[in-house]
Parts: sequence; structure tokens; C-alpha cells
Amino acid sequence: MKPNRKQTTFEVEEELQFHIEMLQGNYTRHGMSAAEAKTAAARRFGNFERVKRQCVDIRRRNSLLRRVLKTSTILIALIGLSIHFLASNYKVERIGNTLIMIAIAGRLLIYVRGLGPSSFLRTNATSVITCTPDDV
Amino acid sequence: MANERTDLMQGTLELLILNTLARESMHGYGIVQRIHEATEDLLKVEDGSLYPALYRMEERGWVKSEWGVSENNRRAKFYKLTKTGQKQLDAQRANWNRISNAVTKILQAT
Repeated sequence: MKPNRKQTTFEVEEELQFHIEMLQGNYTRHGMSAAEAKTAAARRFGNFERVKRQCVDIRRRNSLLRRVLKTSTILIALIGLSIHFLASNYKVERIGNTLIMIAIAGRLLIYVRGLGPSSFLRTNATSVITCTPDDV
Repeated sequence: MANERTDLMQGTLELLILNTLARESMHGYGIVQRIHEATEDLLKVEDGSLYPALYRMEERGWVKSEWGVSENNRRAKFYKLTKTGQKQLDAQRANWNRISNAVTKILQAT
């Protein structure tokens, strides 16, 4: 059963919250007070709400689009096969063949790309990793 | 000291995550910690940015997640590499080595 948006949001929140609590615990073990650890963890994690929204969006949009595309390729393939076998005219049969080819190509694309629409939605602004040789 | 921050190539984080998960399944916090330890804090991953990357990788079928119990008995989501992820890691590793070798040769030639 596919989780709805509320469940997805709850799971994402739980996962991110775990990360922040682990950070807090780590800072506390290194001598920070609870308040200092909380601030330091929040700073290191970044914008919690933005990350949560991104994760929920990726999960929701990808799931929906993938399902639609997968179903579409199956439908196109079935229509193509029906036309291919039922057509008495060569030209009509070619339409069926074309549809089958489109369905196969689409399915291959989904498989090869893993089809994350997120790959098309990737933002350029996010700097996720930095090299800090002198950052002491 | 100067706060010199150099953005690395896009896709680097994915390569680091895949490589980290090649050893064992881990939760997000563990992945970040392992990267920091392995690079002796030379590479700093923005912790929050890890998750959108992980979610994208999961959608592509490179990693698979399941809820489990962490080292401190908390419910946590663990990620592990899939066969597709392993192939992706091999491909990205080879690509990285190719680029790295090419740049090194250019720098040595000048």
C-alpha cells in the first residue's frame, strides 16, 4: 500500500529528527550544554523544513510519475500488439509495430534512468559538499 | 585561517554515498559521519543535503531503505546498496579515476 502525503511527511520528519538528535548527542558528549548542542546541530543540519519538503516532493512526484509512465508503456504495448495481430492492412500493421517500439523504448528509458523526474528537477543552487582545506 | 570553500563536481556526493554504502548498510547520520572521518574533515557534507540525494538515489534504484534499530535503540532508516547501485558505483568510480588522471596529466605537463 502506497503511503499518502501525510504518512510520507511523518516518515521523513522522523528520519531527519533522528539525524538531528544524533548530532545533539554527539555535541553533548563533546562537552556542550544541551542548549548549545541543539543550536550547533540545527546549524550543521541546515534548513530542516526545506530539506523535509524536498524529500517529500521527491518521493511523491517520482512515485506518481513512474506509475503513470509504467502503466502507459504497458497500455501502448497492448494497443500496438492488438493492432499488429488484428490488422489486415500492412500500413495499419506498421502503426502497431511503431507503438510496440515506442512502448519498448519507453520501458527501457524508465529502467535505465531509474527515471527520477528529480533528475530533471535537480536544483543547481544546492551546494551539498565542499572542500575546506584551511577551514579549521 | 581562511574559510576557503570549494564546490566539488556535481555527482561527487552520490559517489561518496555509494562508496560508503558499499561496505555496509547505514543510516543517514552514519553516512555523513563516515565521510567526515574518511576524509579527515577535509570534505564537509551539509548534513541536510544528504537526504534529497539519498531519496533521488533510492528512486533510481541505486539504494534501498528499510526501517531498523540504531546503535542507541532508536528507530532509524537504514540504506543499503542495490545491484544497480553497485554497477553505478563501479561506473562512477571509473569515471572519477579517468577525470582525475586526465587533470593530473595536464597539471604535470604544464
